[in-house]
Amino acid sequence: MTNILVCDDDKEIVDAIEIYLNQEGYQVFKAYDGEQAIRVLGEQNIHLLIIDIMMPKLDGIHATLKIREYSSIPIIFLSAKSEDTDKILGLNIGADDYVTKPFNPLELVARVKSNLRRYTQLGNLNVENNALFSAGGLCINDETKEVTVDGESVKLTPIEYNILLLLVKNQGKVFSIDQIYENIWNEEAIGADNTVAVHIRHIREKIEINPKEPRYLKVVWGVGYKIEKQ
Amino acid sequence: MENQDNMEKKEPGEKKQNKAAGKKRRKGSGNLFLHVAQHTAIVVAAILITSVFLGSYVMIETKKGTQLYQLNEEEKGVTFEGSKLFSKLLGNNAYDIIGYGAIRSQLETDGRYDAGKRIDVTAYANRYNNMESEYITADYYLEDLIKWSRSGFEYEDVYMTGEDADRFLSRFNTITKVNLNSSSYDGGTVTYLNSDLSSMKQTQDVSANEFQTGEYVREDTNATVLRNRYHSADGKNIEKYVATWDDYYTLCENLKKAADDLATVYEEYLNYEEIYKNENSNVIYFIRKTVGDDVQVFTNMELKGNGNELETLKEELLLKCGGYFYYDPSNMVYETNTLIEESTLRYILNGYEYAYPENTQVMIGVDKSYAALDSFQQAKNEFGKFVPYYWQYIAGAISCIALYLFLLILLTMREGNAGKKETGEIIFRLKKEDRIYTEVMLLFAALTCFGFWNMIAWFVNHFRTNTDSVSLTVFAGTIVLAGSLLFSFFYYSFVRRVKARTLYHDSLVRRVGLFLIKWGKFVYQHSDIVLRVWVPFGVFVIASFVLTYAALLNWKLQIAAICALIFLWATVGILLFRSAKARQLILQGIRKISEGDLSHKVNEKGMYGDDLVMARAVNSIGDSVRTAVETSMKDERLKADLITNVSHDIKTPLTSIINYIDLIKRENVQDQKIQEYIAVLDAKSQRLKQLTDDLVEASKISSGNIVLQWERINLVELLNQTIGEFSEKFEEKSLHPVMRAPKSSVYINADSRRIWRVIENLFNNIFKYALPGTRVYIDMELVENPDNQEKWVILSLKNISANPLKVNPDELTERFIRGDESRTTEGSGLGLSIAKNLTELQNGYFEIVMDGDLFKVNLSFPLLKE
Repeated sequence: MTNILVCDDDKEIVDAIEIYLNQEGYQVFKAYDGEQAIRVLGEQNIHLLIIDIMMPKLDGIHATLKIREYSSIPIIFLSAKSEDTDKILGLNIGADDYVTKPFNPLELVARVKSNLRRYTQLGNLNVENNALFSAGGLCINDETKEVTVDGESVKLTPIEYNILLLLVKNQGKVFSIDQIYENIWNEEAIGADNTVAVHIRHIREKIEINPKEPRYLKVVWGVGYKIEKQ
Repeated sequence: MENQDNMEKKEPGEKKQNKAAGKKRRKGSGNLFLHVAQHTAIVVAAILITSVFLGSYVMIETKKGTQLYQLNEEEKGVTFEGSKLFSKLLGNNAYDIIGYGAIRSQLETDGRYDAGKRIDVTAYANRYNNMESEYITADYYLEDLIKWSRSGFEYEDVYMTGEDADRFLSRFNTITKVNLNSSSYDGGTVTYLNSDLSSMKQTQDVSANEFQTGEYVREDTNATVLRNRYHSADGKNIEKYVATWDDYYTLCENLKKAADDLATVYEEYLNYEEIYKNENSNVIYFIRKTVGDDVQVFTNMELKGNGNELETLKEELLLKCGGYFYYDPSNMVYETNTLIEESTLRYILNGYEYAYPENTQVMIGVDKSYAALDSFQQAKNEFGKFVPYYWQYIAGAISCIALYLFLLILLTMREGNAGKKETGEIIFRLKKEDRIYTEVMLLFAALTCFGFWNMIAWFVNHFRTNTDSVSLTVFAGTIVLAGSLLFSFFYYSFVRRVKARTLYHDSLVRRVGLFLIKWGKFVYQHSDIVLRVWVPFGVFVIASFVLTYAALLNWKLQIAAICALIFLWATVGILLFRSAKARQLILQGIRKISEGDLSHKVNEKGMYGDDLVMARAVNSIGDSVRTAVETSMKDERLKADLITNVSHDIKTPLTSIINYIDLIKRENVQDQKIQEYIAVLDAKSQRLKQLTDDLVEASKISSGNIVLQWERINLVELLNQTIGEFSEKFEEKSLHPVMRAPKSSVYINADSRRIWRVIENLFNNIFKYALPGTRVYIDMELVENPDNQEKWVILSLKNISANPLKVNPDELTERFIRGDESRTTEGSGLGLSIAKNLTELQNGYFEIVMDGDLFKVNLSFPLLKE
């Protein structure tokens, strides 16, 4: 049984999240401010924490800072603050994920799952294999041509697979459409069109929880595409 | 000393004040003490110097007037008779006595004045010169000659025929022969002395032309003839001694010279006789001269014999006298107990060679009783008053002067300081006299200096003859004290002025200048603008004319006039330049403010009059505009913050709404109606979510509350990526994107995510409003701005609208305006507004063109150089 602590000062939101998580078979503990959350964490064996930022008594940021002093469980921020600066701050102080309100319940559940997988199953994955490439939770086994995201297998077409492999192999490097085309098709790109862009969107839809806010395959608009170095 | 008194009087009034006042008083009395010490030092120095001076010099009244003798420090302990002073005096007296002796030999016979003494006039007139052994002369009685000289010699111009002349002059020259080379006297004698001895003289008549008969022929002539006031001792007229005119004139001249000399000598004789009387002089003298058998003695000693008992006399002299000398050149004897050297006496005797033969004995001494009131008695008294601590006095005087200077420096530093403020700043205190105008004070100082100088001169004149050392010392001390007080009064006043910085502040020049400036300003400001220009200009022109005229008119005025002209023109030039500079600064300020630099300030320093008013106006306009802009920007930011906060507050309940609608959907409601309702709720809640997001973004963009991250963006790549992203959506509506680009890469400078937002919004717009089944044209065109050769890229997106376009293209980019007025379709109505604002933030232009159903958006960006 996996225990998830949901902490938000808005009771209805906590209840709604409980319903979704219960449906997925998780046990949910509830808290309505930071202090309560820390107390529950001390009393129960919690595997994942969903926490709001703006709360009475002790806010999410300070609670997370305290929790991180002794625990490494996945923490997902759930906040109405949608500015980039808010997200960067949240992730920097120790959160594993950041979901803005209003959220898509399915996306939240998917993120919960993903974070739990990383935490429980893939935490210590470290296989010595030349054909194995990974970026965060994204793994590519070039021998078996198998792609997994947080342990979940993903089905890709050969072209999609090659594009992803190229980007994963060169993590952090930005490839333009022409460069990708020339690498994959081994032809000179004459007036490269949107073929590559369409493939990229397909890949994103398959490996990302929210394709518009990709975690792995990032779009650098007007420049190209890249896998973020993790 | 008045200064300190003032200070002291002032202080008690301030007793009420706190400790600081007490401190001040202490300092004041300290200064008073220093002032007193200063004056004392200089007075002591003056007294010491005066004493040293008085002790170093002796003023003696002699026959030649008051004389100054310097006392020598080395002579301390020496007796008066052994001193240089004594020798000097004795030497002077010896000179006088020997001269007196010479005179006596001329006028006396056997030690008595002899009015009937026969004087050989030619020998006497030439007594200083060597003479021929034969000469023409005449003997006159001494008294006749003196009287003749006193009444004057009279001459007469006469025309004489040869016969007249023959009658007038003698036929013979009366020649006197003197035995010059007489070997009968030791040491030889000179002409005059020989001539004095009747035994050595012979007279004989010699015919002028060697003819004894009367055929002597004379020529007619004009002659100047001496009137014979007196006859010669032989009872003859002078012309009867000579046979020629030349000899006549020479003899007349000699006669006159002898008479005049004797008259002068007679005066001196009387004078000396008075001085060297026994009761008038301490000097004892004895002179004996011997020519052949003739022995003459001049002395004021009592003689027992005929003056030959030299040794007895010498003993008597030694007994009576403290200082003496005995000189006998013929026997080469010189004895003395003074510092007078033999050469001195030899020199004196040589000066009267005509009167003294070699066989002369001179014996002079000074009576040691000093009973007579003469220069010796005076000198002896003064000599005894020799300063005992000469060097100590000088050292004391120098130390006093050093102390004075030290105190001067110290007081200069201390003067006027009246304690410190708590801040450490020094307070300067001024006295009453320091308030007087600087120039007036200077004038006073100058006048005082002048008056004081005159007073000293007057006193010096009065006291010069006074030899009383006490009164002289008191006088010197008083003068120096007065001088020191006056100097201190003015000097410290100026020191205080300098310290308190009132030297210029309290000056008359400044007062007058300020008054003139004030008056000028008043007139200027209360006058018409026309007058303000024309009056100074008129004054300038007239002054220039007058000065030029003055320069041409008078060469004396030229330099002054030219200097004044140059000064005038320079002043006007500087004023014009200053005005122009001020105007330039104001113009610059206006330009800067109009260009948007609202914080710019015109520097008002050095501006006057209208320029200053203008500069201040410009600055205040700039200030108010800046305040207005700042207020509006602040308002905009507040609005953005408000919207952000409100949307945060909306988001939380919205989250619950969305989540619970979703939960309801999962409940598998069978009722058709409820399913429809839920669908509406779902759609509207999603729109609300979109709306809040867009609202926040739009307000942030329009308030400029975002930070751009500039990057090199390939517009072609961006459009390809976007088309890729939208491929399925477009396919859904059967829209066919057609892109036409001039090159595979078109680079611009933009923020990657914001430029994507612009393109995304435009594509979403197309997706929402384009007529399904049509083509969407995406064209890129490179153009060049003719103005500045800048290259731009124009990106145009064209589509056919599904609905007829009724709105104004400008309104579309306003917030909350949409093509369909029913506002039923998805969208916040902020998409185009956001796109436009973001485009402009990234230095681009955004333009909407509508032509029938053709909806076209033109974006233009400056092209990045390759």
